[in-house]
Amino acid sequence: MRSHRFAWAIIGILAVAGSACSSSSTSTTGSKSPVVVGISLSLTGDFSDSGKTEQQGYQLWQSVQNAKGGMLGRQIQLKIVDDASSPDTAVSNYQNLITRDKVDLVFGPFSTLLTAPSALVAARYGYAFPDPADGAPKTLNEHLQNFFLMQPAGPLDTGLTWTRYILSLPADQRPKSVAYISLDDPFLVPAVALDRTAFTAAGIKNVYDNIYPTENVQMTPLVAAIAAAQPDMVVAGTMEADSFDMVKAMVTEKFNPKYLFFMNGASDSANFPTNVGKQNIEGIFSALGWYPEEKTPGNAEFVAEYIKKYGGDASQISADTAEAYTIGQVITEVVEKVGAIDNAKIIQQLHSSYWPSIQGSLAWDADGKPVGTLLLVEWIGGKLEVVYPATDATHAPVVPKPNWP
Amino acid sequence: MHLLIYGCILGILLGGVYGLMASGLALVWGIMRVLNIAQAVCVILGSYLAFTAFTVLHVDPMLAVLPISVVMFVFGVGIYYAFLRPIRRDRESLSILVTYAIAIGIEGALGLIYTTSLQHTGTSYATQSFEVGGFQIPTVELYAFLISVAILGLLALMLQRTRLGRALRAATQNPTAARLLGVDIDRVSAVGFGIGISTAAAAGAVYGMIYSFNPNSHYDLIGILLAIVVLGGFGSMRGAIVAALILGVIASVVFIYWPLWANLSFFGVVVVVLLFRPQGLWGVPNWATQ
Repeated sequence: MRSHRFAWAIIGILAVAGSACSSSSTSTTGSKSPVVVGISLSLTGDFSDSGKTEQQGYQLWQSVQNAKGGMLGRQIQLKIVDDASSPDTAVSNYQNLITRDKVDLVFGPFSTLLTAPSALVAARYGYAFPDPADGAPKTLNEHLQNFFLMQPAGPLDTGLTWTRYILSLPADQRPKSVAYISLDDPFLVPAVALDRTAFTAAGIKNVYDNIYPTENVQMTPLVAAIAAAQPDMVVAGTMEADSFDMVKAMVTEKFNPKYLFFMNGASDSANFPTNVGKQNIEGIFSALGWYPEEKTPGNAEFVAEYIKKYGGDASQISADTAEAYTIGQVITEVVEKVGAIDNAKIIQQLHSSYWPSIQGSLAWDADGKPVGTLLLVEWIGGKLEVVYPATDATHAPVVPKPNWP
Repeated sequence: MHLLIYGCILGILLGGVYGLMASGLALVWGIMRVLNIAQAVCVILGSYLAFTAFTVLHVDPMLAVLPISVVMFVFGVGIYYAFLRPIRRDRESLSILVTYAIAIGIEGALGLIYTTSLQHTGTSYATQSFEVGGFQIPTVELYAFLISVAILGLLALMLQRTRLGRALRAATQNPTAARLLGVDIDRVSAVGFGIGISTAAAAGAVYGMIYSFNPNSHYDLIGILLAIVVLGGFGSMRGAIVAALILGVIASVVFIYWPLWANLSFFGVVVVVLLFRPQGLWGVPNWATQ
């Protein structure tokens, strides 16, 4: 009797865990057979935060497009399976989606670790592989014709908008010294290296340069070491949690560089202010490919439908959600132009011209790397404003950075 | 030299918090021979409880430590009776699977309730600091250290001065002899496990003010806690606390000079010490227990 109770208790625990690990297949209605889109997403594990926000983007596109009649008059059905943030599981998922489930289209997962091997599987079977969030050298060096990063610029270009802005300043207004600090990450390290090359060539003195591990990071000693170098500018190759903890450590250390740029994390309008404190965000720069007020095709509809479906306000929409939605938006346009679900023709069309999207017009080189640039944004008056390039700017840059409160 | 001293100060402050987290793990192993893989997720659970107390009830996390500890003590006793007490054989190995299942279950439940977005308990003093001798001392890390020391002090007093404490120590040193002398091992184990979980949650309440966290954060933590317990000697609370301080200082100092090597140095020290003292700093060698 006792062993039965024990067994039921274990089953109960696994059921709770399993509820967060489930796969889903969103059903559709209609007389024609639906267009089935197979997606492996990290709904559990290390990348589950981004995986779930991407899931929102995919599902929002599905509901918006189905309300308009679907794709080629057929309703869209998503078959989303959880890869638990594991590359092996993601590969296995795409293999099953293509060969067993015979889905019509596949869309990409989150993270370089999962995308590179998954894109190879899709290439083997001739499927187009539009991806919301990758583009590190590991994937691009595969030279896959079927891979397309659905962002305005590649991740290695994250810091280029910052270098262009700094180098656009008159020489006497530029920072004189710089500290580089980066997470040990396959695209952040080379992205910071591009900034270093540009700033070194411009004569900005390098006073600190280091890389930190992905786990168990103690930001206070790290920031103390940066502060000791007394740089005018900090270029930080960050993701999310590390950028939050770095800002808090900078406030604690009372270290206030005149120019502070985070590659990621600070552009997360939903989570950045709540994690670092709204009083600590002023004057911090970051880069992004999309923002809610952007005047791009379909963006107003995307924002309105997002709020209708998920609640909250526009500032809470993650860029990951917009990137996933972009894939659906672009592929719908391509399929309607091709007039059939034909992956070979879809690949050919994507390579042939610019495609309008909520992130602006997108185009790719032969390896699937986007050919555009990101926007430089800054926290001004508690709001994320576009400050560079001037043609897209919603506010003039505020420099030097104000002191911590 | 200034940075080196500062690294030592920060390492001691953080090491104190890790010591509190790991002491419960050591206590539970000592009494029950259970390797509680769920210890780290209970730290994160404590962070979420403090976060909720702060954002919903407007209770300062420092004040919430006591009620959270009590609630989590009861939770720990419940886990013991529901999942660990039924394990009658191969407890050392089976307990790893059972506590891992518990960890995954708690992680799943936290994900459903709080989502996987990063959270931070943003008190007014979370980013404050004050200067002592040219060093910026982070207020929250000092508070966290002091609370950890206070809880560990109370725990030590309880273990030394009370009947329950003597029973816990007897069960740790020799469960068979303790049982022959009339100690109710079952009850002592339940209380010990409850204490282990409550220390984890107490540390979690302050951890959430220092770091951003989400339900997955326990995967990074459990590696640190196991390294601390291995270095200190399995079953030794005193060893766990000293090991936490040593590793905290090493990691902080290495983070200042060679950040990429900080984690490697952390685990490297464990490997080197184990080469010379396989039982850890305060552990009892196998031959002595046979």
